[in-house]
Amino acid sequence: MEFIRPDSIDAAVAALQAENAACLAGGATLVAMMNADLVAPERLVSLRDVAALRTAMRQPDGSVVIGAMRRHRETAEETDLRDGQRVLSDAAGQIANPPVRNMGTIGGSCAFADPAADYPPALAAADARIALVGAEGRRTLPADAFFVDWYETALEPGELIESVILPPAPAGTAGSYTKLARVAGDFAIASVALVLGMEGDACSHLAVAVGACGPAPVRRRDVETELLGGGLGDSEIRRLTDALADGLDPVDDVRASADYRRRVAPRLVRQAIAEAKQCLSGTQ
Amino acid sequence: MKIAGSFNVAAPVELTWRAITDPQVVGACLPGCEEIEAVSPTLYRARIGVKLGPISATFAAEVEVLEEEPPVRVVSVTRGEEGGRASHIRSENTLTLEPADDGGTRVSYEADMTVTGRLAKFGFGVMKKKAQSLAADFAGNLEARLNEAASGG
Repeated sequence: MEFIRPDSIDAAVAALQAENAACLAGGATLVAMMNADLVAPERLVSLRDVAALRTAMRQPDGSVVIGAMRRHRETAEETDLRDGQRVLSDAAGQIANPPVRNMGTIGGSCAFADPAADYPPALAAADARIALVGAEGRRTLPADAFFVDWYETALEPGELIESVILPPAPAGTAGSYTKLARVAGDFAIASVALVLGMEGDACSHLAVAVGACGPAPVRRRDVETELLGGGLGDSEIRRLTDALADGLDPVDDVRASADYRRRVAPRLVRQAIAEAKQCLSGTQ
Repeated sequence: MKIAGSFNVAAPVELTWRAITDPQVVGACLPGCEEIEAVSPTLYRARIGVKLGPISATFAAEVEVLEEEPPVRVVSVTRGEEGGRASHIRSENTLTLEPADDGGTRVSYEADMTVTGRLAKFGFGVMKKKAQSLAADFAGNLEARLNEAASGG
């Protein structure tokens, strides 16, 4: 196996243009998969020395560009993420344990696209875009279009994730990530990423993404839009959870049965909304 | 791991039976099937590639027909192994054909699959979803092929 350690994005992209080449980001997943003999890249392109991938920057318009090599711990502590954008830092702080959060990166996690990982629903709820760079140039995709299928993303061979871009969240919105797991730090049985805004009793912003219950995060933008401007009472939440339930496609695995996931996901949505409402009313 | 499902095709049972028991047709419809040959009327060999996210595997598979009841039922066993003997797959399969109300055929399948070796380290939950999506692709391909044959006379 060949090991290459470029120091620029261009050099990294050039090094990736080979058969069976893979990016090595934090190594939290890829190295474990190599040890288990599940993958055997012939060329590893380490992104460790690419300084441009390690920064997070708040833009003048309030959007935040997070470099692919930002560690989970850094994202958990990111002060540039404000209001509803906090959904991402909340999710980052709930990934695995401190050693993994010091090691794993947002780019690596997105590229692996574990359906039970914490970032995908948080990115979906934050309306994030994923910026990709390859030999053909750059492109950005909304999170919905990036997470394609079980462990499959829109990344093409020879392409790498450059950054994750969070648009500005409306002032006063709250972002939260609610995760049900067997023990703290495990992959989710089910999870809910929420960005919520309330003006008095009326809902002014709503984004709900369910994680770990299908190949990709599940959102129902159509119903979210219908619920804007009204009170977010039991019947409205019920409409949303019923719609979300239609989109769930959970697996039976060692963590929980598919049936259990279907049962628990709507309850997590209700819990997340109730907690966010309480948190928002406390700050108003 | 048990996988079961069914799909409908527009072709009548006899025609569907001929297609679904013809290794060349099955090979052409099965996603990832690189080659298939009939060793005897009841034994086939195939090379099948599967991909699940970052993991790719190619199996040398053998399909042995154990029972055949034309044109309604076939029971077979599939044994597959990866080069380097890293993983083994064994699957007992039952395929049932019955006439559908619209003159077409309802095809039902059941497979009981065991996976050992490196691929078993990966979650069975997702593997089952993958198997179901391969079955759905197979059904779509077979349907398209039968429709093409029907419209081509």
